[in-house]
Amino acid sequence: MGASIRYDPESGVPAIRQITDNLRVLLVEERLKPGAQLPSMRRLAMELGVHFGTVAEAYRELAAEGWLDLRHGRGATVLARSAPSIRRKAWLDEFRDRLRGLIAQTRAGGAPGDEVAEELRTAAKEIAR
Amino acid sequence: MIRFIQSFMCVFLGGLFYIIPNMTRRGILFTVNVPPGFRESPEGRESVSSFRRLLGLVVLIDLLAITFSPMSIMAPVMLISPLLIIAVAAWGFVRQRRKIEPFAVARTVWRVRQAELSGQPDRLPWFAWLGAFPFVFLAAAAAYLYANWDRIPAEFPVHWGPSGQPNRWESRTVHGVYGPLFFAAELCLFFVALALAGWYGARRSYMRRVILGTMVAVEFMLGLLFAGIAINPIAQFPIWAIVLAPLAAMGFIVIVAVNRIQETDEAAEPTPQEFWHAQIIYYNPGDPALLVEKRTGMGYTLNFGNVWSWMLMAALVAIVGTIPILL
Repeated sequence: MGASIRYDPESGVPAIRQITDNLRVLLVEERLKPGAQLPSMRRLAMELGVHFGTVAEAYRELAAEGWLDLRHGRGATVLARSAPSIRRKAWLDEFRDRLRGLIAQTRAGGAPGDEVAEELRTAAKEIAR
Repeated sequence: MIRFIQSFMCVFLGGLFYIIPNMTRRGILFTVNVPPGFRESPEGRESVSSFRRLLGLVVLIDLLAITFSPMSIMAPVMLISPLLIIAVAAWGFVRQRRKIEPFAVARTVWRVRQAELSGQPDRLPWFAWLGAFPFVFLAAAAAYLYANWDRIPAEFPVHWGPSGQPNRWESRTVHGVYGPLFFAAELCLFFVALALAGWYGARRSYMRRVILGTMVAVEFMLGLLFAGIAINPIAQFPIWAIVLAPLAAMGFIVIVAVNRIQETDEAAEPTPQEFWHAQIIYYNPGDPALLVEKRTGMGYTLNFGNVWSWMLMAALVAIVGTIPILL
């Protein structure tokens, strides 16, 4: 079975964010490899039950980041993308802020701290591989 | 003859209702969401058997009435016998639904929707192309009538009464001869549109394939039927064949569809409860799907929040509107 994405309409996270973030995870983890063809915007919108424009916006956002090639009539194709060079200080501050925000939001929603920590350790191991 | 045709129609109607419990996914019985394996449980089997026994009884009563009623009261018997089957089937259905409600499990709640990220084009299955054949049948019938115009009687019957005698006639004009073919072409076109809407306008699932096959089969049957009706003034088919052949074809289509539906354990499509009205009308402008699976589990219904559903409804009304013009 190929890669798939999930959309939870009751999560409180906007559809565009969920779809873009889900796709980006698959792209970064190379579960969507360069050259892979993504479903048409209409088909993905239909399968997820969201507006066509939401998927179009998600695709455009990822295309702007250099992940996708959007050519009229050819759908979306995954591109080989090299990570841009970035100053350490710039990404680290933003990353920490976002991570803390996410952890706080998750714990505020009732998730136990030790389980969140365990998930972070698992994620760290996967990145280090 | 009329007793035979009426008896056949009652048996056919009874047969249709007989297989209603199998016309839904295995997880839904009498519109109740049941746990896996419930259909095979003693309660599930008894529920279906009880419904079918009742149907068998009413069909038997109808057959006796049709066989032994004097011809003088045949007209009301013909009217009442199918209505009795429908009424008893509806009552039996509701009764069984109430009986198995205590075994109901929670319906799949709209929560997380998952989509495969396959870029494979959404190709139509091979059998979808059979939908082109009915137009060939109609065109062939038109060509045959054109080539044999002189053999068409100046006046020919197009409708028959309960006694089997013709009660409406049509004359040998372009309208009278080709009208049924034009109407059939409209109807077939509508079914093609519906089949394509069901394929490209519904989420990927096993049921989508079954619905497409059913639409194509119905269109196939309609094309053949109307081609036969159109050439009947020359071919002179027996009246019983014209009445019974489409019923037999419909019966075959339903049986095949039911068997296909029962072959899957795929979960029913989850759709948000708040967009269902009276459990039968789906209106969700935020959902791009044109067709969604019914909550009763019996096939698909239109998403009236999608503008294309209104186009389809308008097309259907337009087709019905042409009946007095073309037929």
